[in-house]
Amino acid sequence: MMNLSRSVALISLFLLPLLSLSFSVDNPTDRRVLVLLDDLSLKSSHSIFFSTLKSRGFDLDFKLAEDSKLALQRYGQYLYDGLIIFAPSTERFGGSLDSKAIADFVDSGRDLILSADTSASDLIRGIALECGVDFDEDSSAMVIDHSSFSVSDVDGDHTLIAADDLVKSHAILGKTKIEAPVLFRGVAHSLNPTNNLVLKVLSASPSAYSANPSSKLSSPPQLTGSAISLVSVMQARNNARVVISGSLQLFSDKLFRSGVQKAGSPNKYEKSGNEQFVTELSKWVFHERGHLKAGSLVHHRVGETDEPAIYRIKDDLEFSVEILEWSGKSWEPYVADDVQVQFYMMSPYVLKTLSTDKKGLFHTSFKVPDVYGVFQFKVEYEKLGYTTLSLSKQIPVRPYRHNEYERFIPTAYPYYGACFTTMAGFFVFSFVYLYHK
Amino acid sequence: MMERGLVRFLFLILAVAICGAASVFQPISDSHRSAALDVFVPVDGSYKSLEEAYEALKTLEILGIDKKSDLSSATCENVVKVLPLSSSTLKDALYALSVNGILKCKSGEDVPKDIVSKLQTGVKEAKLLLDFYYSVRGLVLVKEQFSGTDISLGDAEAVFRSIKALSQSDGKWRYSPNNPESSTFAAGLAFETLAGVISLAPSEIDHSLIQTLKTGITKLFDSIQKYDDGTFYFDESEGPISTTASVIRGLKSFAASESTGLNLPGEKIVGLAKFFLGVGIPGEAKDFFNQIDALTCLEDNRFSVPLILSLPSSVISLTKKEPLKVKVSTVLGSKAPALSVKLAQALSSGSKGSSVINNQELKFDAESATYFLESFPKNFDVGKYTFVFEILLDESANEKAYITEAQTKVPIAATGAITIENAEIAVLDSDVGSVESQKKLDLTKDEAVSLSANHLQKLRLSFQLTTPIGHVFKPHQAFLKLKHESQVEHIFLVKTSGKKSELFLDFLGLVEKLYYLSGKYEIQLTIGDASMENSLLSNIGHIELDLPERPEKAARPPLQPTDPYSRYVPKAEISHIFRIPEKLPAKQISLVFLGLIVLPFIGFLIGLTRLGVNIKSFPSSVGAATSALLFHGGIGAVLLLYVLFWVKAIGSVHDSKGTVFAGSVSVVRRTQNTVSPRSSIEQAEICLKDIYSSL
Repeated sequence: MMNLSRSVALISLFLLPLLSLSFSVDNPTDRRVLVLLDDLSLKSSHSIFFSTLKSRGFDLDFKLAEDSKLALQRYGQYLYDGLIIFAPSTERFGGSLDSKAIADFVDSGRDLILSADTSASDLIRGIALECGVDFDEDSSAMVIDHSSFSVSDVDGDHTLIAADDLVKSHAILGKTKIEAPVLFRGVAHSLNPTNNLVLKVLSASPSAYSANPSSKLSSPPQLTGSAISLVSVMQARNNARVVISGSLQLFSDKLFRSGVQKAGSPNKYEKSGNEQFVTELSKWVFHERGHLKAGSLVHHRVGETDEPAIYRIKDDLEFSVEILEWSGKSWEPYVADDVQVQFYMMSPYVLKTLSTDKKGLFHTSFKVPDVYGVFQFKVEYEKLGYTTLSLSKQIPVRPYRHNEYERFIPTAYPYYGACFTTMAGFFVFSFVYLYHK
Repeated sequence: MMERGLVRFLFLILAVAICGAASVFQPISDSHRSAALDVFVPVDGSYKSLEEAYEALKTLEILGIDKKSDLSSATCENVVKVLPLSSSTLKDALYALSVNGILKCKSGEDVPKDIVSKLQTGVKEAKLLLDFYYSVRGLVLVKEQFSGTDISLGDAEAVFRSIKALSQSDGKWRYSPNNPESSTFAAGLAFETLAGVISLAPSEIDHSLIQTLKTGITKLFDSIQKYDDGTFYFDESEGPISTTASVIRGLKSFAASESTGLNLPGEKIVGLAKFFLGVGIPGEAKDFFNQIDALTCLEDNRFSVPLILSLPSSVISLTKKEPLKVKVSTVLGSKAPALSVKLAQALSSGSKGSSVINNQELKFDAESATYFLESFPKNFDVGKYTFVFEILLDESANEKAYITEAQTKVPIAATGAITIENAEIAVLDSDVGSVESQKKLDLTKDEAVSLSANHLQKLRLSFQLTTPIGHVFKPHQAFLKLKHESQVEHIFLVKTSGKKSELFLDFLGLVEKLYYLSGKYEIQLTIGDASMENSLLSNIGHIELDLPERPEKAARPPLQPTDPYSRYVPKAEISHIFRIPEKLPAKQISLVFLGLIVLPFIGFLIGLTRLGVNIKSFPSSVGAATSALLFHGGIGAVLLLYVLFWVKAIGSVHDSKGTVFAGSVSVVRRTQNTVSPRSSIEQAEICLKDIYSSL
């Protein structure tokens, strides 16, 4: 017993520096990633993907999905910052891992890449469903597209899709445009319309449908056209990020290296867009891009520098906030023209777009409304692909004091005049009345 | 055990997925060569270890990529460092010699004597299989590379026996005499070692020993695993690629070292070749090396050389009139011997059993080394087929024992342009069936048909699809999509019966499905099939539907996903509208009125002078005058006090730094902050009391 506790203490002593290396506010990029495979040969067939991750400094821990020693946390601490599940056919994870443990992992703000494939297991479908993604129920169905398939000499099924309907977001897919179509062979999914956190990154073309290519259709397919999502992402409210793909092959060396020509298009590409797409997407999901940090909200009266404890109505004030973006290595100034501040009491009284000095400082100035009460400065920034910022600061606003009004109102001059002339008249009259002879 | 079985099963799925739907195996080609350069990337001009260097150099050499000059200086330095070193392990020595074999850092008579003696003692003292392997292989390499040596194992037969003692009855081998666990991977190593022993032996090894070894090999082949597509492999903890490669390497060395020949089942050898080709391009250096090295062993050996039939394209376009091309080559893509290829059968996947083409021999084009079928018979239609090829080797003496599959089955997709005719859309009256409005359609381009219908009417869409040879074509995808303004979509299948593809939409039966949504529906038709070259997506136009009101209990239309772009657009700016200040007259008007107000006073004064008022009765006695002055002075002082107060000359309560009035100004100010303007005056009083008590 004594020995055991001592060894536990020793282990935790070793773990401590390891844990402190991980995910933190100042360094949001994931470091330790658990890769669950249903077959270790995936390590070889998907090696380009894994080696790009390794070269970017990720510490990959490969495990078989059935490994009986699987665990995401030990002594209440998570052992990993990210999880890659490349085990589409796994019916049950080994060890203490189940779909709830994975949901908890995401709920704790950690990231997940989940790839299904044709004949995905219920377990994988269940995890996807938790993230608002619904895979086609028909387990033999694949995405078929007779108009935008990849022209190939060996695929006569039109199930190798050349997809180029990508989400327009620099945060998710990087600034360099993905020229070549992305090759996809796998299962279709749709997004839960009530979940507005999940969005399509790679969508199918309008002519696509999800069906079993080798049997005749007896009823209309459940998923058709652009409603089919091939790859989706979800950013939870706590900024945990999830990528869900309907194709495991999308990540494979074979499709990374293969050339692509979309049917009906004269453009032939030496290399498919897969590598760029997957690399950029993995940068996003592991918080190497699109992660924002804001300094505190700064405000003061025009011409002053100190923050007042209270504002008077109709004061002119200046407001600023610093926003930085994580580049994977350091915090860079964030540049955007759509950051907004609200001066808020029950509802926004003032909503202004902030202007930026391109060095990360966003500022504006406005007049305090002529309504008094307890207000808030609110910056609620949501942008496609970026982490959400939600900042607020309370500030009371008071009305004019009695002595802050005008003292002499010109309009009242006749009244003043009437008073004083009456007084003077009275004074004169008192002499005349008493001493006239 | 079960776990491993499952892994195997999964690997099968993967392998099938990698090969795609078609089980066509392509020989090693240029894509491997370009990939090899990515996989074997040296760090600062050399590799981490000599083992890696050997694997990289060997693979690049086999693929015909010349990178030796870039790598030789740094790598050779390592080799020269390791070779004379007596402290280097047997394993290092072996790989140093292997690298030397490729780069020729040291050669000729310059025999590294230390290493030879080290290897020889290694053989003598070895107990473990790996020690035997490293030292025997090392000696073989020394013998090959350095001309001035005459290395031979004096007690070759004893060494042979002690290695053989590690073998198991099922053909597998143990790594050490103390460990009962046997492995297929070790068997491969053992064959290689034994082949080395045979070649180093001064005299011939006892024949019976070799014979028992051959039975062992046959037994080992009983434990081979098989996939459905006819590929064979050995599996173990090292992974199927490593294990199978080890066995093949061992077999090649063994067959090369002895003269009687090895009789292995041809089908399994072809299956092994297909296994390695089916792997595709491995991403890991080790697997890449094992794949290429094993394929080289299959390419050039003394038991059987498999030939692979491959198709440059398994998709045949009937409109382009391309001939069917077939290539036969060895696994590494080099030329096959003289042979003929026969298309035994062409089975259509639709009609089972019937063959369109029977026993047709393919013509050979020597220039491109392809066999081709010039023309298809007239009844060859679009669709999916399984072609069965047979390869007949010419009997003329081949130096090598070539083997082929008995029959190669290849899935073929024949595509063609489908003619679309008589496309029309019509709205019919339900009662009479009479045509209300009928429009001819050209589906090849978007149209702007505009129809209208109510729930008592029907919509009819029909068209005719025919294949190039005039048969009715049933496409896999024939959908009509109705899309309401609110983005709610409905898909209907267009069924083919007889010659026509037709869709009847009876809106009366569909009102519930359409969620009683009246309004404009866009009509979109998609026709597509894997064999159809002109698959199309056509916007036909729209239909204005007039449906009954939605009853209370009917289902509501499903939620539509929101557009992510519109969700994140910045909100419209809000600026506060300030209360408009009260309208006041201009200052001049006030001044004019002030003047008017002052006028009566002036009139009063003028009137007094006109009346000739005087103050003659002002008391003249001192006492009375004093009291009169005091009386009027008092009135004047009161009036003056009013004026002074008004112009803020006295009684200032406004500024704490200025005059303080009557003690409790600060309290008054504090109440202004703390007491809400909405509190009643009683509440304000309570506040004031609190403040007083706190002072």
